[in-house]
Amino acid sequence: MSNRDYLGEFEHIVVLALLRLGDRAYGVTVRQEIEVRTSREVSIGAIYATLNRLEAKGYVRSHLGDPTAERGGRSKRFFRVTAKGMAAVNRTQRALQSMTEGLDLIRSYS
Amino acid sequence: MTSQSDFARAPRIANWLVNLFAAGEEAESLLGDMLEEFSLLASKSGVAFARSWYWRQARKTIAHLVGNAFRVAPWLTAATVIGGLLLNRFVSGLPERTMFAVLHRYQVIDHHFSAYVFFATDGIAIGHVITSMFVGCVVALATKGREMVATMTLGLVLCAMTGAAVLVWVATGQALNLWMLPWYIGDWFAIVIGGVIVRMRRSAATNLPSAT
Repeated sequence: MSNRDYLGEFEHIVVLALLRLGDRAYGVTVRQEIEVRTSREVSIGAIYATLNRLEAKGYVRSHLGDPTAERGGRSKRFFRVTAKGMAAVNRTQRALQSMTEGLDLIRSYS
Repeated sequence: MTSQSDFARAPRIANWLVNLFAAGEEAESLLGDMLEEFSLLASKSGVAFARSWYWRQARKTIAHLVGNAFRVAPWLTAATVIGGLLLNRFVSGLPERTMFAVLHRYQVIDHHFSAYVFFATDGIAIGHVITSMFVGCVVALATKGREMVATMTLGLVLCAMTGAAVLVWVATGQALNLWMLPWYIGDWFAIVIGGVIVRMRRSAATNLPSAT
C-alpha cells in the first residue's frame, strides 16, 4: 500500500467513529455514533463491509469479546485503529483541510 | 415483571437469510449486533417497529455482503461460475440418457405406456432439477464463504442464457414449448438450493448458537 493512500468518504467517517469510541467500538456503537452525528441511516452490513476492507488494508484491527445473552450468545467484535490507519486518517484530514482552506462554504452554498 | 420486549423474537427468516450470506466469525458478530439493537428497539419503540427495522437492516446487509463478495474475490467468483457452467453442460445430458436407457432396458413402452410418457417427460425434467442441485452443491463447495453469491450468479447466468436462447428460438419462427418453462425455473432454483444446502451444512458445522 503506498503512503499516499487516502480514505474514502465512508471509510473516513467509520475511522473517525472508531477514534471517538475508543475501547467501546463495535458494530452497534459505531453504527449509532455515525447515525447520531451525521443524521444518516446506515446499515450494519455497510459498517462491516467498510471495517473488513479497512482491516484488509491494515488500517484497523479487530478482536472478539465474550459472548453475551442479550446477543443470543454471540460475541462482540471490537475494532481499533492501527498506526497505519492513524496515518491514513491524518493524511485524508490534511488533504480535506487543504482543499477547503479559504473557501467560505456556508456562505457560498447556502 | 416481564416486559413485552423479553418475549420479542427477531424475525427468524431474516436471521436465516443473513446467516446464509455472512460467513463464520462475521455472521456471529453481525447477527449479534443486529439482535442487540433489535432488543433495544423493541423495548423502546415496540416489537412491530423493531421487526420492521430488523428486516430493513437484513435486506441492506445482504446487499452489502453480496457486493462485498464480488469486490473481494471477483476472479474466484467468475472462475467458479464458469466451472459451474461447464459442469452443468457436462451433466445436463445425463437425465435423458439414463432415463431412456432404463426405459428401453425394461421395455416400459410396451407394458406401461402412460408410465413411459411420464418418465420420458416429467421424469427427465425432475432429473434435470436433481442434476442442477448437484451442480449448485459443487459450486458452493468450491466457494467457501461465498456459496450463495456464486450459486445465485450461476443461476442468473443460466437464466440469461435460456432467455437469449428463447429469443433466438422465437425469432427463427419456431414453436415454443411453454410447459417446459416452470422446469427451467426449477433448474435455476435448484442450483441456488444446492448452495443453501452446502451453506447450512457448513454453518451447522461451526456450531454457532441458535438464531434467537
